Amino acid sequence: MNRLRVLKLGWEFPPLINGGLGIACLGLSQALARHVDLRVVVPRAAPDSGFEGFELLGLNHLRIEDVEAAESVYRYESFAQIDRVPIHLDPYDSDETTVEKIRMEPGGEVRFSQTTRNQLEQFKMGDLYGSDLGSKVIEFSKIAAKLALQSEFDIVHAHDWMTFLAGVEVKKATGKPLVLHVHASQYDRAGADARGWIFEIEKYGMEQADAVIPVSRYTGQICASHYGIKSSKIHPVHNGAEPVKVFSTKKKFPEKLVLFLGRLTAQKGPEFFLEIAAKVLERNRNVRFVMAGTGERLKPLIESGAFRGLGGYFHFTGFLNKEKVNELLSMTDIYCMPSVSEPFGLSALEAAQFGIPAVISKQSGVAEVLKGALKADFWDVELMARHITDLLNDDELRERVVQQAAKDMAASTWDAAAAKVLDVYRSLMP
Amino acid sequence: MPDLCLYFQVHQPNRLIPYDFFRIGEHAYYEDEGLNGEILSKVAEKCYLPANAMFTKAIQESRGRFRMALSISGTVIEQMQRHRPDVLRSFQDLVATGNVELLAETYYHSLAFVHSKKEFERQVELHLDKLEEVFHIRPRIFRNTELIYNNAIAAQAETMGFDGILAEGVPWVLNGQSPDYLYRAPQVCQLKTLLRNIELSDDLGFRFSDRSWSEWPLTPEKFAGWIKRAPGDVVNLFLDYESIGEHQGRDSGVFEFWERLPDAVLDEDVKWVTPSEVVDLFRASKEYDCHWPTSWADAERDLSAWMGNVMQQEAIAKIHKLEEEVLAAKDAELSHAWAKMQTSDHFYWMSTKRGTDGSVHEYFSPYGSPYDAYMYFMNALADLQIRIRRSLEARAMMDGGG
Repeated sequence: MNRLRVLKLGWEFPPLINGGLGIACLGLSQALARHVDLRVVVPRAAPDSGFEGFELLGLNHLRIEDVEAAESVYRYESFAQIDRVPIHLDPYDSDETTVEKIRMEPGGEVRFSQTTRNQLEQFKMGDLYGSDLGSKVIEFSKIAAKLALQSEFDIVHAHDWMTFLAGVEVKKATGKPLVLHVHASQYDRAGADARGWIFEIEKYGMEQADAVIPVSRYTGQICASHYGIKSSKIHPVHNGAEPVKVFSTKKKFPEKLVLFLGRLTAQKGPEFFLEIAAKVLERNRNVRFVMAGTGERLKPLIESGAFRGLGGYFHFTGFLNKEKVNELLSMTDIYCMPSVSEPFGLSALEAAQFGIPAVISKQSGVAEVLKGALKADFWDVELMARHITDLLNDDELRERVVQQAAKDMAASTWDAAAAKVLDVYRSLMP
Repeated sequence: MPDLCLYFQVHQPNRLIPYDFFRIGEHAYYEDEGLNGEILSKVAEKCYLPANAMFTKAIQESRGRFRMALSISGTVIEQMQRHRPDVLRSFQDLVATGNVELLAETYYHSLAFVHSKKEFERQVELHLDKLEEVFHIRPRIFRNTELIYNNAIAAQAETMGFDGILAEGVPWVLNGQSPDYLYRAPQVCQLKTLLRNIELSDDLGFRFSDRSWSEWPLTPEKFAGWIKRAPGDVVNLFLDYESIGEHQGRDSGVFEFWERLPDAVLDEDVKWVTPSEVVDLFRASKEYDCHWPTSWADAERDLSAWMGNVMQQEAIAKIHKLEEEVLAAKDAELSHAWAKMQTSDHFYWMSTKRGTDGSVHEYFSPYGSPYDAYMYFMNALADLQIRIRRSLEARAMMDGGG
């Protein structure tokens, strides 16, 4: 069989943003590049990223001349009547956001399909998310389609909703099969009742796709049930984990340390962690809880912790950089991830590399990978607390969990993930 | 025509460093020495030094007819000893004129009375000792942190041998009566209560530089006229010393005002008196029945400035909970570190009040937000707990071994 040619559409890409999405896209791209010819298009790339094995194109480096040749043959299909989508979304923002109404302008299809110098400019500066995210998503899809019309490839593979429109546009313009990768859905971010533009794009994209790759069976079930996508085209592929440099630091205090790490948003279940801590501390005073990270829930969480009288044993760190996170991991005894809905949960794997046993919610993808981790429903704080207490008291149990995690970790590589993705590609080839 | 009794509060807290989680267990220094020294110096240049010079001169020029009282917290005396001995000397010189009475308070400017009578007594004794050592004076009058007062505190002050106590003249306790008389708490025999005249004190402390105030600009002559016409035995003006030159900046004319006020008052035949003179001069015929603790802070005039939200309540409860352990460790440095964390300002900075009072809390806060104030404080407290435990363990080992 010939080497496949894949056009990959991404949004975040290291080293510009080091969120989970970018890290996963990079890991998968590097592994896939060993098997396919890969071109990755993102809104913005660092000037000389120089990744080996695949080509990375940031629209911030694109000139208007690069897309001109395709202007005459391309008509925008998806949202042709929309003039402006006022949307503000920033997953790393700590304030609550509001959304305005979409403005329609009938009969603007032809003008709409063109790309102007100004539209290209918006990828050069400002935020990747922010107030003009809606228009960036649309412009990205137009430009992606024009680039696709000028290049040779067999499959288009898009990552998360910001690129789904682009994937659909590319498929409509070229007729190539479309693979959508779901790293997180609006169901995870905003809850089961979330509806609106982003939900509609996700649903529309998955309906148009030839194959959907969720990062876990858990997320696959959401695609099938919540978005009504046919199960036969859903193929879950777990993320891999890059090996991290592991070290250990001696704690400056005698108590054991239980860690929560992540953005302080409802999705991550920080309130449940607080409840779990309160329950454990009722039984065992020889333990400290640390909530690392920041987000819009920080202030209410601090007040709630004070109300429960946890201060002195429950610590908030605020935002931590990678170095500090690793320092924290190096002294942690138990990792707790009570996410309400976690498509994957890479941080639990990173903790496992540090030899930390994990107590995680069943509503997470990583629960399928870490077979030995102690699990409970996110709302079952009693069971979570019992798991933590058991790990604190029972060294044998602790050892078993850590051993099993080491085995599971060994299988969780990007190469394994790439092999499965390759199978999906091949199944779509005539 | 009433007499006029003037008292200023002098206090600086020990602000904490941004004490983060990673320091717990290894970093035993909680205070931002640099910042504390810097602020002390700034306030000294703007207020303490020029005001001390001004009042020394007023005492000399009036041939002792101008008199006033100061309450100087233990924490600010320590700061002056460490960073600015010259400023402390200037206070000593002022007190040495014999016309400046010193008042007793809790050494650490704390809310100890609310949580532990024993700790309260300890801190008052410490403060008395400090005043003896530094100023060679033993006060007769007590004033509690931020004028926190109720019947029980009055009774306690009497038990401890004081002749008088200062309090806020809270309208809902006064119930239509004038603050310009001496009062008596229900369960005391001798102790007299001096009530702050809120209106006239705040004219000088808050409204003085407010250009939208109908009485702006306030002249010493106009103010002296108001005092002369006030009914009652004594008008009590209780203020922060820092209101001269710091809260009310030099360019507001605050120094010119205070320079001329002593004479302006004397020209109206109003006498300057100190709190202990008030107690000797007048009878306390009326009862002031104050059950709930009141204070001079915020519009609520209660404890909500320091104990209004759950963060404040937890922080203050947890620091006081350590009392027994920390004293059992018999480690002077440790109990000093612990007691310094009782200073009311730590809790004041954790207030989440908004509006005018909220901006006053914010003005004084060295931190980005009340949540930061709480986090740093609780982390330092966690470290303190660890140190106390280590110290107790070491003691137990020594006792066991010996």
